[in-house]
Amino acid sequence: MYMATEITPLTFATLTPWLVWFVPMLAAILIPLIAKAGDKVRDYFAVIFSLISALLAASLLPAALGGQVIHHQVNWIPSLKITAGVLADPLAVLMANVVAWISFLIMVYSLGYMKGEANLTRYWFFMNFFIGSMLLIVLSDNFLQLFFGWEGVGLASYGLISFWNRDEEKRWVGTPGHTAWGVPQAYSPTHAGMKAFVTTRIGDISFLIGILILYSVAGTFDFVHLAEDKQWASTLASMGLLIPVGILIFGGAIGKSAQFPLHEWLPDAMAGPTAVSALIHAATMVKAGVFLVARVGPIFFVAASSIGVTGFFEVIAWIGVITAFLAATQAMVAKEVKKVLAYSTVSQIGYMMLGMGVAGLAANFAAGYVAGFFHLTSHAIFKAALFMGAGALIHATGTKYMNEMGGLRKTMGITYISMLLAAAGLAGIPLFSGFWSKDAILGATLSAEHTASAIPLTILAAATVFITAFYTVRMIGMIFHGEPSHHIKEMEKNGHHLHEAPRVMWLPYAILAVATLAIGLAGPFYEGVLHSIAGSSLENVFGMHVVEEGFKVNPVALGISLIGVAVGAFPAYRYYIARTADPSSLVSRGFLASLYKFLENRWYIDAFYYRVFVYPVATFSTILFKVFETGVIDRISGSAASSSIVLSSVGNWIDVNVIDGFANGTAAAGTMFSRTARKIQSGIAEQYVFIFVVGIIIVILAVLTLR
Amino acid sequence: MDLPIYLTGVLAGGALLILVAEAVSGGKAKKALPGYISLGTILVSIGLIFLTQISPAFSLTTSHSVFRNDLLGVFFSIVVLAVSALVAASSIDYVKTIGNSAAYNSLLLFTALGMVLLAFAADLLMIIVAWELMSLPTYMLTGFRKNDPDSTEASVKYFILGAFSTGVLLYAVSLVYLLAGSTNIATAVLALQELAPEFNPIAILAVSLLVAGFGLKMSVVPFHMWIPDAYEGAPPTVAALLSAATKKAAFAVAVRVFVVALPFFQLEWTTAFAILAVATMTLGNIAALTQKVISRMLAYSSIAQAGYILIGLAVAPYAQSTPIGLIGVLFHSFTHGVMQATAFIAVAAVSLRIAKPSLDSYNGLGLRMPVTAFTLTIALLGLAGVPPLNGFWSKLVLFSAAVEAGNAVWWGGWLALAGILNTGFSLGYYAWVIKRMYLDDPEEAGRLKESFGLTGVLVAAALIIIITGIFPAPIYEFAENASLAISSAATAVAPS
Repeated sequence: MYMATEITPLTFATLTPWLVWFVPMLAAILIPLIAKAGDKVRDYFAVIFSLISALLAASLLPAALGGQVIHHQVNWIPSLKITAGVLADPLAVLMANVVAWISFLIMVYSLGYMKGEANLTRYWFFMNFFIGSMLLIVLSDNFLQLFFGWEGVGLASYGLISFWNRDEEKRWVGTPGHTAWGVPQAYSPTHAGMKAFVTTRIGDISFLIGILILYSVAGTFDFVHLAEDKQWASTLASMGLLIPVGILIFGGAIGKSAQFPLHEWLPDAMAGPTAVSALIHAATMVKAGVFLVARVGPIFFVAASSIGVTGFFEVIAWIGVITAFLAATQAMVAKEVKKVLAYSTVSQIGYMMLGMGVAGLAANFAAGYVAGFFHLTSHAIFKAALFMGAGALIHATGTKYMNEMGGLRKTMGITYISMLLAAAGLAGIPLFSGFWSKDAILGATLSAEHTASAIPLTILAAATVFITAFYTVRMIGMIFHGEPSHHIKEMEKNGHHLHEAPRVMWLPYAILAVATLAIGLAGPFYEGVLHSIAGSSLENVFGMHVVEEGFKVNPVALGISLIGVAVGAFPAYRYYIARTADPSSLVSRGFLASLYKFLENRWYIDAFYYRVFVYPVATFSTILFKVFETGVIDRISGSAASSSIVLSSVGNWIDVNVIDGFANGTAAAGTMFSRTARKIQSGIAEQYVFIFVVGIIIVILAVLTLR
Repeated sequence: MDLPIYLTGVLAGGALLILVAEAVSGGKAKKALPGYISLGTILVSIGLIFLTQISPAFSLTTSHSVFRNDLLGVFFSIVVLAVSALVAASSIDYVKTIGNSAAYNSLLLFTALGMVLLAFAADLLMIIVAWELMSLPTYMLTGFRKNDPDSTEASVKYFILGAFSTGVLLYAVSLVYLLAGSTNIATAVLALQELAPEFNPIAILAVSLLVAGFGLKMSVVPFHMWIPDAYEGAPPTVAALLSAATKKAAFAVAVRVFVVALPFFQLEWTTAFAILAVATMTLGNIAALTQKVISRMLAYSSIAQAGYILIGLAVAPYAQSTPIGLIGVLFHSFTHGVMQATAFIAVAAVSLRIAKPSLDSYNGLGLRMPVTAFTLTIALLGLAGVPPLNGFWSKLVLFSAAVEAGNAVWWGGWLALAGILNTGFSLGYYAWVIKRMYLDDPEEAGRLKESFGLTGVLVAAALIIIITGIFPAPIYEFAENASLAISSAATAVAPS
C-alpha cells in the first residue's frame, strides 16, 4: 500500500542516495593526504567533491518531483533488527539539494574568504565532514543512522567555530568589557566552540534517551516501520510515555536548532569564520532540528491519531514562537552585523518550528508542514546570502561593528544589491521568498483549530514580523546608507581604499540573492509544487491522507504581515536610511533605556546560565582538583611529584607514627624499596586496605538492606 | 575440556621457550627475539581457538571438571589474547628501553595463560589458581622499571591489595565449601538453593567477599584505589594489559559466578550491583576530569568504563527474549579492551619520545607525532562512545538493556539515564585531550620520530576500532551466542 515500505533493489539509482553523503565523507578522509600535493590542489579537490555531491543530489530530483521514493536497506546488526538505509523521499531529496547546493556555493566562497589562512587542511576536512554528516542526517531511513550524522555535524560545528584556535582578540565575538550581571559578554573562538558543543550535547542526550525508549518499545529505529506498525504508540501511551518520548526527541531539535531554552550558543558561534556561520549556523545544520521534526512529526501524528498527541505539537509551536519573538528583539539592538544575522536565524527557525507545530494542531497536517518547510528552504537561501555578504563586508572594512561601516553602497555596489535582495526576503517584503513562506506560516497558525492558543500564537508571530522588518532595515541602513563612519574615513586616509569583494566571493551570494527574488516571483507556484510533493511524501511514506489543496492566501494573515512589515520598516527607514532622526537620543534614558539594556544583555538568560550552571560547575571542579590532587586526599592518592611534597611535609609525622604489621614486613624488603616503604608507612597503603574493607562492609549492608 | 589444556600447553610452552632460548644463547640472541616468540605464541593460541571453534560440538553439560569448554570462555579468551597480542607486539619496541626482554615476555605469557584459564574455569578453586597465575606476573610487570621509584611503588601497592583480595577470595571460597560441600560452581549452586534460612548470613558474607575480591580487578568502586597508582607507575604497555585484559578476565569470572549462581540465592543483589555501577562510573568520570597525567586520566576512565559493564551485570537477570544485558557485558568487554589497549599503547609511544609526559606535553602532538595522535584520537572518541566507532554500539546495547529492564525494576530507566549522562560528561575530558593534540601549540616544536613497530600496532588497533564500529554485527552475534551458552547453562542447572 505504501510505496516506501518496498525496499528498492540495489541499482545505480538506489546507490545515488548513498553516494550523496558518502562522497563528501570520502573527500574529508582524503584531504589530509591530498594536502601533500599542494595547497591549490587541496582547495580545489575539496570544492570539486562538494560539487559532485550536489550533482548527485540533483540527479535525484526528477524522480522525487514525480513523487517516487527510493528506499534501500541493508542489514547492520540483524539480531537487533538494526538496519542501515537511505530514504530518499521528496522531503529528503529537496532538503538534500538545498544542503548540497548551498554547501557547494559556500565552498566556492571559502576559496576567496579563507585565502591565506593557516591550517586550511583542517578547515576543508571539517567542511567536507560536515557536508557528509548533514546529508547523512537528511537521507537516513532510521533514527540511529540519523543520530550518527547528528553527532558528526556537532563535532564539525565545534571544530569550525574554534577554527581560529589562537584566540586572537580580533576573532572574539561580543564586545570586550561588556558585562551582564557580572558575566563577561565576549567570548573567544575556543570558548564559543565549547559552549556550542556542550549546549547542543544536552539536547543530544535527551534525543538519545528518547529514541532508546522508543526502540525498547517498538523494537526498531526504522521510520517506515514506525509509521506502519503503530502498536508502539498505544503501548507508550498506556505507559504515559508517548508525549514525553516525543518531547525528549524534540529536545535534540531544540539543541541543534538553537531554540529556547538552548538557544544561547548560536550567537556566540559567530566567532567562527563567516563561511562557517553561513553554512552551518544559518543555512544547514541549525535546520537539522526542523528537519528532525519534519521526520518525526508525521510519524507521531499518524501513529497516535486515535490517541491524540496535540500536547506534543503544542509544545513545538510554543517553543517556536517564543524563540522567534525572543531572538528577534535581541536582533534589534545588536551592534555586530553577524550577531544581527545570528539572532535573526534563531528567530526565523522559531517560525519554522511554529509551522511544524501548528501542522499537528490542524485538521490539515500538510498546511503548516509545507509552510514550515517552505520557510526552511527560502530562509536557507537568503540567510546564506546575507552571511556571505556580511563576510565580504568584514573582510573589506576590517570591522564587525555596523556603526563602524556606513555609506558602503557606493563602494561595494554588488554586495549592496545582493544583500538588499536577500534582506527583502528576510523582512518579508511582498514578492520576495520570505513573504510567501512567512505568510503561509501565519495562515496555518490562524487555522489551527485543535488548540485554544491559535490567537496568542498568531499575535506573537505577528509581533515578530514587525520586529524582523525593523532590524532588517536597520542593518541595511547602518551598513550601506548615511555617511561613511569615522573608522572608514581613517582607513581611507591611511591609504586603504575600499573596493568590492573578489568575484569568487560575490558570485555565490549574488546567485543566492537572485534565487531569493526568483522564488519570490514564483512564490505561489513554488508553494504549490512543495505542497504536492510534500503531500506525496506524507502519503507514500507515512500513509497520511492529505487534502489536495491549491494555492490560497489567508486574507487575515496577509493583512497582518503587510501591516507588520510596513509598521516595522517605517521607523527603521527614518532612523537608519533617511537618517532624519537620531535613534540614540531615544534610548538614552527612561524606560526605553532599560529596555535597550535588557535586550542588549540577551534578556539576561546567557548571564543566568553562566551564574547558575557554568560557574558553580567550575568552582566544583576546582575544589575537586584541590581535593584529588593537591589537597588532603593527596596523601592517599597522589601523583609522584605532589606526593613527594606531601611526603616531606609529613616526614616528621611518619617517624612517630610507624605502624607495624605488613608495613614493616614490606619495609624489610630491602633498601631498594626504601622510598616506597616509607610511603607505605606514611599510611597510604593502610588507607587503601582500610577503604577496601569498608567497601566490603558497604556491599554487605547494601545486599542486606535491599533484599 | 580440550581447548584449555591445549592453550595451557602452547602458552606455558612459549613462556618456557623464551627463558630457555635466553639461557642457551647466554643473552647473545637478538634482543627482540623474546618479543617475537611471545607474539607468535599468542597468535598461535588465537589460531588454535579459531581452529577448534570450527568444530560445532561444544559440550554444555555440567560435569565435575574444573573447566567448562564453552563459548563464553572462547569469547573472553579471544578478547584477552587479542589484547595480549597488541601488548606483546607493542612491547617489542618499548621494552628495548627497559631491557630484560626475556623475563618481560615470559611473564606476559604467564599472565595470558592465567587469564585464559580464568575464562574457562568452572570451579572456584581453579578460579583461585588461575587468578593467582594471572596476578603474580602482573605485580612484577608493574614494577618492571625497577630504577623508577614510581614503578616500584605502584608494584608494591598493587601487590599488597592483590594479596589482600586473594585472601578475601579464599575465605569466600571456604565459606561456599562450608555451605555447599563443593567448590564446583554448578554443584555448589544446586546445593545452595536448598540452603536452610539460618545459613543465609554466611551466604551473604560469601557473596559480598566474592564481589570485593573480584571487584578489585574489575576496578569496581570502592575497590579501585590501587588503579591510578598502578597504571601511572607501570610501563604503559603493562597498564594496557592490566586495564584491557586482566580486568576483562575478572569480568569473565564475574559472569560465570554471579550470573549463574546468584539468581539461586534468595537475595536482591541486582540493586546493589546497580548502585555499584552508578558509583563506579560517576566517580571514575569525575576524577578523570581533574587529572594532569594522562595515565591517571586513562586509569579513571577505565574505572568508569567498568561501571558501564556493571550495568549489564546488574540488569542481566531481567532480560526478556534475548540476554541483552549479558551480551552488553561481553560486547563492551571486547570494545573497551581494544580501545583502552590502543590508548595506553599510544601513551607508550609518546613516553618513548617524551620522558615523563604530562598532559601539557600532548599539546600539538597532532603535528609532532601524527599517527600516534590520530590513533589516540580514534581510541578516545571510541571510549567516549562517539558513533560510528565500536564503543558506541556496546554502550548502546548496555543502555538498551537497562531501558528494557525498566519494565521489571523501577531503577532500570534511571540506570540508563545515569549511563547516558556519564557518557555525555566523559566526552569532556576525552575531547580535552584531542583538543590539546590538534588545537593547542606544542611546548616545543619539532617532529618526533615514531617507532615503526608501535605505529603498526596502533594503526592495526585503530582499524579494529573503526571496522568493528562500521560492521558490529559479527562481534555482536558472537557475544550473543556466547551469552546464550551461559544463560542456557544457567537454566540447565536451574531447578525444574
